[in-house]
Amino acid sequence: MRRLARALAIAMALGSTGTAQAAEPVQLHAYVGGQQRPDIMRELFAEYMAAHPGVKVTLEVGAASSDLHQKYLNMVLTAKDPTLDVFLIDIVRPAQFAAAGWAEPLDRYLGAERESFMSRFLPGYVAADTIGGHVIALPALADALFLYYRKDLLDRYGAPVPATWEELARTARRIQAGEHDPQLQGVSFQGKAVEGAVCTFLLPYWSLGGEIIRDGRLSFDRAKAEAGLGMWLGLVRDGVAKANISEVATDDTRKEFQAGKVIFAVAWGYAWNHFQQDADSQVAGKVGVARLPAMPGGESVSCMGGWNWAVSAFSRHKPEAVELVRWMARPEVSRELAVRGSFHPAQAAVYEDPQVRQAVPWFHDALPVVASARARPVTAVYKQVSDAIRINTNTVLAGVKTPSEALDEIEQRIARALRR
Amino acid sequence: MKAPGTALRWLAAAIVLANGCFPALWILATSFKSEVELTARPITYWPRDPVIANYVAAFRDQPLPTYLLNSAAVALLSMALSLTIASLAAYAIARLELPRRRLVLTGIVAVSMFPLVTLMVPLFDIMRGLGLLNTYWALVFPYAVLSLPVCTLVLVSFFQEIPRDLENAAMIDGCTRVGALFRVVVPLAAPGVFTAGTLAFVNSWDEFLLALSMNSAVAYRTLPVGIQMYQGEFSFPWPTISAALVIGMVPVVIVILLFQERVVSGLTAGGLKG
Amino acid sequence: MSRRLRDRILDPPEHVLAWALLAPALLLVLAVVAWPVARLFANSVMDVRLSQGLPVRFVGLDNYAAVLADPLFWRSVRNTMVIVIATVPGALVVGLALALLANLPFRTRGPIRLALLLPWATPLAFTGLIFAWFFHSEYGLVNDLLARVGAGPRIWFNSPGLTLAAICMATIWKTSSFMALILLAGLQTIPASLYEAAEVDGASRWTQFREITLPMLVPSMLVALIFRTLTAIQSFDIPVSMPGPGEETATLAMYIQQQAVDYLDLGYGSALAVFMFALSMAITSVYLRYVRGGGR
Repeated sequence: MRRLARALAIAMALGSTGTAQAAEPVQLHAYVGGQQRPDIMRELFAEYMAAHPGVKVTLEVGAASSDLHQKYLNMVLTAKDPTLDVFLIDIVRPAQFAAAGWAEPLDRYLGAERESFMSRFLPGYVAADTIGGHVIALPALADALFLYYRKDLLDRYGAPVPATWEELARTARRIQAGEHDPQLQGVSFQGKAVEGAVCTFLLPYWSLGGEIIRDGRLSFDRAKAEAGLGMWLGLVRDGVAKANISEVATDDTRKEFQAGKVIFAVAWGYAWNHFQQDADSQVAGKVGVARLPAMPGGESVSCMGGWNWAVSAFSRHKPEAVELVRWMARPEVSRELAVRGSFHPAQAAVYEDPQVRQAVPWFHDALPVVASARARPVTAVYKQVSDAIRINTNTVLAGVKTPSEALDEIEQRIARALRR
Repeated sequence: MKAPGTALRWLAAAIVLANGCFPALWILATSFKSEVELTARPITYWPRDPVIANYVAAFRDQPLPTYLLNSAAVALLSMALSLTIASLAAYAIARLELPRRRLVLTGIVAVSMFPLVTLMVPLFDIMRGLGLLNTYWALVFPYAVLSLPVCTLVLVSFFQEIPRDLENAAMIDGCTRVGALFRVVVPLAAPGVFTAGTLAFVNSWDEFLLALSMNSAVAYRTLPVGIQMYQGEFSFPWPTISAALVIGMVPVVIVILLFQERVVSGLTAGGLKG
Repeated sequence: MSRRLRDRILDPPEHVLAWALLAPALLLVLAVVAWPVARLFANSVMDVRLSQGLPVRFVGLDNYAAVLADPLFWRSVRNTMVIVIATVPGALVVGLALALLANLPFRTRGPIRLALLLPWATPLAFTGLIFAWFFHSEYGLVNDLLARVGAGPRIWFNSPGLTLAAICMATIWKTSSFMALILLAGLQTIPASLYEAAEVDGASRWTQFREITLPMLVPSMLVALIFRTLTAIQSFDIPVSMPGPGEETATLAMYIQQQAVDYLDLGYGSALAVFMFALSMAITSVYLRYVRGGGR
């Protein structure tokens, strides 16, 4: 099928030699992290090159961790280095790239098509990628936090999928009491001071309707924040979450659920394939996926993740680079990434595509969660906000600070970061 | 110095061995474990079912030999540069009449007082401007400067211990001062030279931040950066990384052992001892 | 070339030769470090937050004042000083012990020397991660060993005190090799004749150690101490891989990295770096007074 597509593409390219240039091909450099399946990206670029003979795309692969990826881009872009033309940026970065003038705004190139072009993406992603009215990046890969649960255990105890955190705690305690396994955790979530801890803080806070930044100013609701932190602390105190939750990072949750030691897990989309396909998985076929629980009186929200294509403001081949990212943002490419890499699409229509439904059937259940996901604070000083929140969430879960003290520091640090 | 009792010696030896080898042995053991065994409770020390899959993965997932070669090249070049320049400077400071000697010494040591991270952004700018990014030189020059203070000071303290008469004898025989430096002083200060060399080598081998920024291209990546690449966004595959670490440590250990021999075996026949 | 000219080039007066020999070092330092350091001082008196799209403006000593009023800065200085005070003497003592042992006429010298060097050969970036794993409350072997001797398990990284203790242990482990190497080289330069003479005079081993070994090791110890101290003040790789609760155990270097590299707040980050420089200068100037220079 792929070969046929490529052959067709080549045929089309050969057929359209009318506009071919005799000059040297334009060299574009794309930068992608190790976690974004550079192998699939390379194949997609090869298809692009076949369809656009005047352009050569070279892929540079960076670190797999978002932090190192960003540190490198920080260095290169501060120096206004023109070597990179196109890169994938984390969903929390567009505001910083816009403020720093590192990304080329794409609205000029989209022109009149802008509305229709952008309407195909999920609204949350469009909002996160549009800063100050300018389209800074195009959504490529989506992600969200899901509530994974042990279907078999819930069935055994006749418990429904919990809609609130309170229900979750009760169900978990009941199952823990019944199973007599001291190592069985009721719920696992990120307590270590990694980026995931920002989501840990935000989930209950958002559920109650809180927000962090509005119009460039801190808009903090302490009562809701304390309620949120209090909820997590309650889970630890009641033994639903383990005592050293402050040591649990994103992948620890996944590994422990996979080893069968956890009833409910708050984790990202990548975990599903591990649960179902890893050789050492104890939970294959026993996993359900649901929306995250809500706080009392609140609604169910999830945390948005994902990666987006941006064009470097220092690129020497901007029109060609923009062409490339537009091509990469097509539904067909999104479908390929879903089928081959199990990446959630950022376009609703792709979820209904028959190939996707066949390759990744669980995406059907995943769509409502992805669509309801909220973006972490969209601000140029996101790194400072993230640090303030994750560090203090960790100290609260480690029992070193009270929620009140932690919130003091969060407010202080974010206020300082937002200073003009 | 008269040797202490045998029992005490063996006890001390045992402590030294345990202290030094323990983490290294742990890395070795982990490199043969499977991922699942790491989070087994109770924890295991030796692998239950050893696998060599990690070593295969280490070579397969990243071009480890390339990283080793790059690290070795950068370390050796910067070591050579550092040693040469440091020898000349140390001789001037230790032996010659130098106005404002204290100031010069302080100035050289002051280089080490700036954390590398604060110099990184302008340094990157310079290297980019010179077109040296993703070459060995982008790292060799900064590393040589980084090791310069410690090498200079070590050599100063060694050069000072050497009696002047030996140099004077050489110069009476028709040698110039610089010639005396390289023909008499340096060989006699061999323990110091090899020590300084080892320090410079290991400093370069260990450095991460600068290497990450300057040489991001795979072909020029050094080992610490390369090993970080095994890390995923969420995952830290200890078994594979341990295997890569074992492979990466072997050359350093060999180099240090070789140099160490020279330090301890005492090439100073006659001159200093007794 | 006339003989006189050749002589003047090859055998110039002392101070000319001295500067000529220093020239390469000074040139290298200038070329690589001078511009970045100049930028550093310049940035420290300005508000440079380009990545937020803010204009660069001169702010005089505002950054420095902000640093002095910053509780996070003082916390990082406290943590750094704890590490300095614990690990500098700590590494010296352990390093000295290791050097003395490695210097003894052992038959099985090889393994000893290897054990000495392995901590050094372990890449710094991973030493912290390895020890962080050792001190993990569930999967780490420290708690496992403690359990075997009956002591309770602790969640090391939930307590700033315990975390700092773990960091210091890891640091001493790693840097004792560095100290040992320098001291070992120093031990080689002590003439055996001195010990023989002392033996003849009936001096005990301890007296020999105190009167001969230690004094003659002073030059090496000074060098080792200077650089161990400077590195301790700049502790980064190990503490960053062994984070305690939140940022309670952040060191000054970690704080600088956060401000300058992560936040790209170059003005504030540079001011912090200048403080670190001043601290380093103050502490090492004490040492440098004891380093003799010049011919005797």
